[in-house]
Amino acid sequence: MGRKVNVIGVGMVKFAKPGASEEYNVMASKAAQAALADAGVPFEAVEQAYAGYVFGDSTCGQRAIYEVGLTGIPVFNVNNNCSTGSTALMLAKQAIEGGIAECVIAVGFEQMEKGALAAKWDDRTNPLDQHVGVMSAQQGVNSAPFAAQMFGGAGREHRWRWGTKKETFAKVSVKARQHANRNPFALFPDVLSLDEVLASPEVFDPLTRYQCCPPTCGAAAAVLCSDDFARKHNIANPVYIAGQAMTTDFRSSFADSMISMVGFDMARAAAEKVYQQAGLGPRDVQVIELHDCFTANEVLTYEALGLCAEGEAEKLIEAGDNTYGGRWVTNPSGGLLSKGHPLGATGLAQCTELVWQLRGQAERRQVEGARAALQHNLGLGGACVVTLYRRD
Amino acid sequence: MADELRFDGKVALITGAGNGLGRAHALLLASRGAKVVVNDLGGTHTGAGRGSAAADKVVDEIRAAGGEAVANYDSVEDGDKIVKTALDAFGRIDIVINNAGILRDVSYAKMSAEDWDLVYRVHVLGAHRVTAAAWPHLRDQKYGRVIFTASAAGIYGNFGQANYAMAKLGLVGLANTLAIEGRKNNVLVNTIAPIAGSRMTETVLPAELLAALKPELVSPLVALLCHEGSQETGGLFEVGGGFFSKLRWERSEGTTFRLGRKVSLEDLSARWAQVTDFGKSTHPDNITASMGPIMGNVEAGPTRGANQFIDVDAALGFALPEMIHRYTERDVSLYALGVGAGRDPLDANELALVYEMNGAGFRPLPTMIAAITVQQVIKLAMEGKQAPGLNYGLDRVLHGEQYTELLRPLPPAAKLTHKGTIKAIYDKGKGAVVVTEVRSYEEDGELLAINELSTFVRGAGGFGGERGPSNEITPPDRAPDAVIEEKTSEDQALLYRLSGDVNPLHADPGFAQNFGFARPILHGLCTFGFAARHVIKAFADNNPDRFKSIRARFVEPVVPGETLVTEMWRVEAGQIVFRSRVKERDKVVLASAAVSLYDVVPTKAPKARPAAAATAPSSAPSSASVFSAIGQYLAKNPEVGAKVGVVYLFKLSDPASAFTLDLKRNVVEPGETAKPGCTLELSDSDFLAMVGGRANPMKLFTSGKLKISGDVMASQKLDFLQKIDKAALASATAAPAAAPSQTGPDSASVFSAIGQYLAKNPEVGAKVGVVYLFKLSDPSSAFTLDLKRNVVEPGETAKPGCTLELSDADFLAMVGGKANPMKLFTSGKLKISGDVMASQKLDFLQKIDKAALASATAAPAAPTAPKASPTAHEAKAPARVAQIKARLLGDPQLGEAFAAGVVFQITDPAMTFSLVGRELSEGKAPGAAAVLTLRDESFDALLGGRQSAKELYQHGLLRVDGDVRLAHKLASLV
Repeated sequence: MGRKVNVIGVGMVKFAKPGASEEYNVMASKAAQAALADAGVPFEAVEQAYAGYVFGDSTCGQRAIYEVGLTGIPVFNVNNNCSTGSTALMLAKQAIEGGIAECVIAVGFEQMEKGALAAKWDDRTNPLDQHVGVMSAQQGVNSAPFAAQMFGGAGREHRWRWGTKKETFAKVSVKARQHANRNPFALFPDVLSLDEVLASPEVFDPLTRYQCCPPTCGAAAAVLCSDDFARKHNIANPVYIAGQAMTTDFRSSFADSMISMVGFDMARAAAEKVYQQAGLGPRDVQVIELHDCFTANEVLTYEALGLCAEGEAEKLIEAGDNTYGGRWVTNPSGGLLSKGHPLGATGLAQCTELVWQLRGQAERRQVEGARAALQHNLGLGGACVVTLYRRD
Repeated sequence: MADELRFDGKVALITGAGNGLGRAHALLLASRGAKVVVNDLGGTHTGAGRGSAAADKVVDEIRAAGGEAVANYDSVEDGDKIVKTALDAFGRIDIVINNAGILRDVSYAKMSAEDWDLVYRVHVLGAHRVTAAAWPHLRDQKYGRVIFTASAAGIYGNFGQANYAMAKLGLVGLANTLAIEGRKNNVLVNTIAPIAGSRMTETVLPAELLAALKPELVSPLVALLCHEGSQETGGLFEVGGGFFSKLRWERSEGTTFRLGRKVSLEDLSARWAQVTDFGKSTHPDNITASMGPIMGNVEAGPTRGANQFIDVDAALGFALPEMIHRYTERDVSLYALGVGAGRDPLDANELALVYEMNGAGFRPLPTMIAAITVQQVIKLAMEGKQAPGLNYGLDRVLHGEQYTELLRPLPPAAKLTHKGTIKAIYDKGKGAVVVTEVRSYEEDGELLAINELSTFVRGAGGFGGERGPSNEITPPDRAPDAVIEEKTSEDQALLYRLSGDVNPLHADPGFAQNFGFARPILHGLCTFGFAARHVIKAFADNNPDRFKSIRARFVEPVVPGETLVTEMWRVEAGQIVFRSRVKERDKVVLASAAVSLYDVVPTKAPKARPAAAATAPSSAPSSASVFSAIGQYLAKNPEVGAKVGVVYLFKLSDPASAFTLDLKRNVVEPGETAKPGCTLELSDSDFLAMVGGRANPMKLFTSGKLKISGDVMASQKLDFLQKIDKAALASATAAPAAAPSQTGPDSASVFSAIGQYLAKNPEVGAKVGVVYLFKLSDPSSAFTLDLKRNVVEPGETAKPGCTLELSDADFLAMVGGKANPMKLFTSGKLKISGDVMASQKLDFLQKIDKAALASATAAPAAPTAPKASPTAHEAKAPARVAQIKARLLGDPQLGEAFAAGVVFQITDPAMTFSLVGRELSEGKAPGAAAVLTLRDESFDALLGGRQSAKELYQHGLLRVDGDVRLAHKLASLV
């Protein structure tokens, strides 16, 4: 085990719909500057930068960082689909943990196009072809957005296996909007009723429009440092990373289950590693930001993270254990569903929310007594990063 | 056994059931619950005598086994009495098995009138009388299964059975037509050609074979075809001795002569191999398919001319394989020397043509491009790469005329791609003229030059084609404005041939003599180069870059050493008419000749080459031509289709079109098919990229550019598309593309225009007085044209007088006068039901003001037409509901699983029922815990055990609202 890694500064810009945002370099530099200001350290103190984004030509990371400062530091561009942000975070953490650097910054950003996700390069092997193969064998393929078919199909499988009601998925959206309503950074802060969610146009049964996260533009950043660095800069009692793990697909992803194919097994394995590293279990965390790209995935993730047994997510939801007053608050920020999902930024925006929560700075959406927080960020293709944060 | 195929409640009539096959059919059906009428006249197998014993014995056997049966002893010629027996005994008739038969085998020479008539009366007339008596009952109850019994003797012929063979194949024709007439009332008709040991064969077959051919080995097929679950109709099956198979017609691809030409015995004889070659066969299974090639020939229109040398239809427009050729400065210099340049090495203008390091610039002679392209075309011809339909040797060919145009000066060195097409074919009476156009492109794809090579083909005229233009250019009647005289050298041809044309006629004295020349002659294109050089010298300030084009007719050969005199007339600015003569013999050698010059030397700058842009042809193949190439490929490689065995439907967009790639029948057809195995939707350009190997189907699919429905995995078998001969694809460019106009009015606006027209012209409707229902497809919509009330309404009407089903595009073509309703009908593109004659009153549609139609496009479209309800097909759900009922009766515990209540919402056709506990009810039961929504066919597959509920559900074919776990229990109903 290496050195302890502290998250001393976080920041993000309010996410926006495609076409309505600033350019990636502007958003990213604003987020980075916000994180540095939050940490109270100058850019000159930063020794390395990890820049995450999915869509854009090479070296967008430099272009964004250059607006913060031109100190000639190493800049690493990171691309790992929807888990890009926390992949950058993990690399930054490893640099501190391994004694390579004292202070680094991770920034994630995305300037997305309108419309559902689709492959950009059609002249070469699609990295998701094996995943699509599983899907077409299990349920065929239709014209709905492919991510909705995949996660919707996993939702179908969950229903079949456990008798989960359609309403249960929809309730996740209702909760997400209630949370978002308290978050000034949320893109969709208006509350929705269960009927409204259910009555929105069907994207892929059981998912309706309001159960799918929209393409979004945005940026978020985190400054990480060692204990030595924190001491030198008089940073007292910072939030720190108590455990972190990344998993990629297992053989089981390509077997005969949509649930396994969309990352359930990756999430469960990553969570187990993190609990072991942190010496804490799911019951020891109070607040969770998890990857609710579609409502179905939030339902699956409760089970993958061990909040409940497999098949028990519906009970957890019905008991209100995913919101204020219950055992956990999941996605207090509104999650991907309501805050938006700029692929490269999401992992760092989740981190930002949890750091605010652990510091007691989350204002109207503050989870009382939050001492430990869990983050789950998932990319198809695939990579799943689970992180457990603490503040003493 | 839950899966036992039963005939409970069904009444079957079997003729000739006292013995052999009929008896076996009767026993089998009775054992499966059918009530059976056992008919047998009780005579011998040759039709002699009668009695009740045979039928009674079988009835007794059935009753002893616990079944129900009655006997009938009438002759099949009294078919109505036999059917009456069924109705009297059991109140209905469901299954008719025409089995009774006799034999009167005798060689044709000895066959008596009685032998012929008796066999006909029992087999054909008898089967007809029985079937005809049952037919109205089967139709009215919308359920019936009819079997006719044919024989291999009828299908293949058999010595001594002329009468029997005639009768048996007659039944096949009868059955095929009854299958068509009965289909819509669920009366299915099939024919079997059985072989079994029976009284009728025991005299013909050896004993051990007879023992193997048990009648019981035929009856399972008969029973299966008669089962309510069977959808087979119009089939012909060979069966016996444990063998079961289906027969179909196979037709050779044959040969088609375009209409308008005479077909001589010799023409047909020459193509006899094609007539009889089954290498590229099809399997037409209905009249429309049978008519396909004929309709195709009618649509192709009259021939543009053909004889034994030239088939204009096949040749015209053909794209030759691309030719790539590189030349260097050395080649340019050698060519210039070959056409007499550089005789005075101190003349700067001459040196510029032959010396690449010339300080004042190196100026390639433009006519070199003519030499290059002609040489390339000859090379192809010598390799046998001729356009199809040009069936003559080089020995008949003379280079008649040459036209050469440059869009820019010729570069000193270049790699050019030459694309040749057969541009025109003219019938000059005795001879023919074939014009090959070659377009030459630089490496950056810019068109550099156009050449037209006109060849005169001796003795190939008289095919009935166009005579073509004369291209006659006559010099003005005045003294030439310039004359240049230049002696060719004795070795001119030897020098010129090094530029590529190595025909021995120009070098080998012996060879030349054989062709009637005293000595080797100069190349025509060498003379052509001399003359062009003279014009450049006289009118273009010695600057070959100003040369635009040249045309000349080769009249007479020149002998090396002779003096050329080029007389030139400037007829207008930049236009020079010329004529070249041989001074020594005073013979004109080049005539009808002219040169155009550029005023300003064109360059590659965009503004300087509008001509290039305007004339550059689109080099990309169209989808239609690609599909045609695929069709040709499949015809040549039938094993490819056999391996894949899937029917693909391609729906292309931008522009929209549809093609069916049927790898079961190995054919490609424009338009949609009713039951594709796999449907692919993508843009026209992505399709071309996919076929061209530039895009991978899987990647198009994952990027959302390709939508696949049906059997998704089948799409992975499309790799073969990329193997299709590139040359075939390239040649496809020449085929005309079928790109429907995108700007035409849509159907909704056309109907709205029709409505306005009818409002203004009420007399039109009054005259017709019919309610038409139009069901359009692609996209689907429905419109009612009510000429009783003179209104047009979107959607369907309850009682149309005449229903027309056709594609949206065909409808628009019909209204626009571009397609004839009758022709659409006969080609199967238009289906008419109801009052067919009423469809002939639709002419008025074509009279509708074109302006109104045009304005219709501008007018806001009528409210979105409701989607036409899919073509009604027989609902299978009711039978499956009956199955559920039976299961519930048989297993009282079963209902408990459904105590919470399940609503089945069946669609296409719609039917809703509920199952609460053991209670089945119509409609939606209030408070049911789950609503299952699925199509009729999926419901049928589910209850038939062919697809599991989980599979249907995960595929989205079974939608469950409410408690999913109730769907788990559906398996118990199967």
